This record gives sequence, C-alpha cells and structure tokens, in this order.
Amino acid sequence: MQSVIIGVGRVGLRTARVLREEGHDVTVIEADPAIAERGREAGFDVIEGDGSRESVLESAGVDDADAVGALTGDLNVNFAACLIGKHHGCRTVMRIDEDYREGIYQQYADEVDEVVYPERLGAIGAKNALLGGSLTAIADVAQNLQILRITITEESPIRGYTLSEVALPSESRILAFGKDEEPMGIPLPDNSIEAGDSLAVLADFSELAAVRQLLVGEKPATAVATGGG
Amino acid sequence: MVTAYVLIKANTSEVDRVKSAIKGFDGIERADVVAGDVDFIATLSVDSPATVRDVVATGIGSIDGIEDTQTYIAMT
Repeated sequence: MQSVIIGVGRVGLRTARVLREEGHDVTVIEADPAIAERGREAGFDVIEGDGSRESVLESAGVDDADAVGALTGDLNVNFAACLIGKHHGCRTVMRIDEDYREGIYQQYADEVDEVVYPERLGAIGAKNALLGGSLTAIADVAQNLQILRITITEESPIRGYTLSEVALPSESRILAFGKDEEPMGIPLPDNSIEAGDSLAVLADFSELAAVRQLLVGEKPATAVATGGG
Repeated sequence: MVTAYVLIKANTSEVDRVKSAIKGFDGIERADVVAGDVDFIATLSVDSPATVRDVVATGIGSIDGIEDTQTYIAMT
C-alpha cells in the first residue's frame, strides 16, 4: 500500500516506520527543514513543504496513494490535507490534539475517515505496560467494546481444550487464533489450545474480568497509580 | 451597524448544545462548527462595538464549555 504521511515529528515518524516495517511504501511531507532532515536520516523520502497545499501533496504522489495520514500538530493543516487527500480518492486519517474533538470530527467531517488521538493510544499502551502479563488490549472499538490479545500460558484454564469447548461469557467472541509463533488466522472449532498460542477476543467492558479469568487464569492485576492522576 | 466575527474555542464535545446556545443571543446571524484549531465561528451584527463586547464577553463567554474567544470587527 502507498501512503503519504504529513508531519514527520513524534507521531508521523513512528507511523511511517511501522508502515515501512510492514512492507508499505511511504512518502513524508514536512514543513520544518530541521525535522525534515531527521526524516531523511531515518531513510524516508521527505518532501519539504506545506502539507495543506495541493501542489505539495501532488509532488508527494497523492494521486497514486491509497491513504493520507495527516499527523502534524496543526489541526488546520491536518484537515486541509484530508480534504485534498479525499478529493484524490485516498483513505484519510487525521490527528487531533484534544479528546473532546474526536466525536465532533467523526460526526461532522465527512472527508476524514478516521480520527486518531495519540494520547489515548498512548494511554492504552501505558495501561498494558502497567498491567503486564499475557493480556494486551489492542483497541477500544466502541465505547463499551475492546479487542484483547491473549497469549496462553501454562496456568491458563483453557489450555488443553479445543476452541469449540471454550464457553466464553455471552458478551464476548473469539476473533482470531494463532498457534505458537505462527500468524493468527480464522479460529476453527477443533483448534487445540496450548501454551504459547494466542487468541484475539472482542469483549464488552462488563465481561473483561470474566474473560481474563477464563483465558489467563489470574485475578485482575492491581495497577498502582501514583501522583495526582 | 457593526459586524463582527467571533472565533470560539470550546472544550466539550456537545457541539449541538453549544451551537444552539450561541445562536440564542441577540445579534448572532449565524454560527458554524468548523474544523481546525477553533471549534465555532459566529458572525454577529449589532448596533455598536459596546454591544459586540456584551454579546461576546457576558453572552458567549458564559456558555458552559467555552474556553476562549477571539473577536474581529469588520472594517468594510
């Protein structure tokens, strides 16, 4: 897939790296020469210029691109880039800077396919790190729904059973299953569950503790927060 | 008559409530939700610059969820 990323700062550079690691083509636009240089040092094609201008996006190849990620800290630039990207038939992703705007853009900005709020994604990562262990929250897909990835351990109560024998709480589903070290795929009823295998589960928030107990076996860990959070 | 543009920054996702509150003040001709680093732009048309100040400071500024306003008075 071909993407154009606008902004090669903290968020843009990491996004570009992840895309490149997964084999996608990335072109980056950056207005600040010093930051643009950092992008070049990281090995990216960097177009220096204002990502809210159509001519700049065109020289970055927006015509052939599948997606535009407007990831600068400037909302006006981000929104303009999404407008132009949408006009050129791209999927558009816009970074916002304050969480109250998430719903507003989802509701009103038709040209923006997806809104990302880096602090919230960072918070999911930080929560995973704090809780540790074999369970990772991948994403909140709705206000009350989360996708989790669970690695089966020796202590897991479902180890040794097959997927068809696992009775999950009613507000949860197994989405994907992968044998140890193998990529995840569609779960099959006769997949046997062994230590090292991984599962992706979609669950309602109210069932998270029950899902955790059934698949991981531990009591919910107690995260200790310090300071005035 | 004095025409003014008011750029309004909010800190709430309740845009419909805030928009109808803005539109409720005398002299407001329109109020739009905008993309970018402010959330609404309102135009108002009133008798005097003092009324502009009243509508913005004591009116719009007092709506729950409004964080900041910037007012530009039209010269032409």
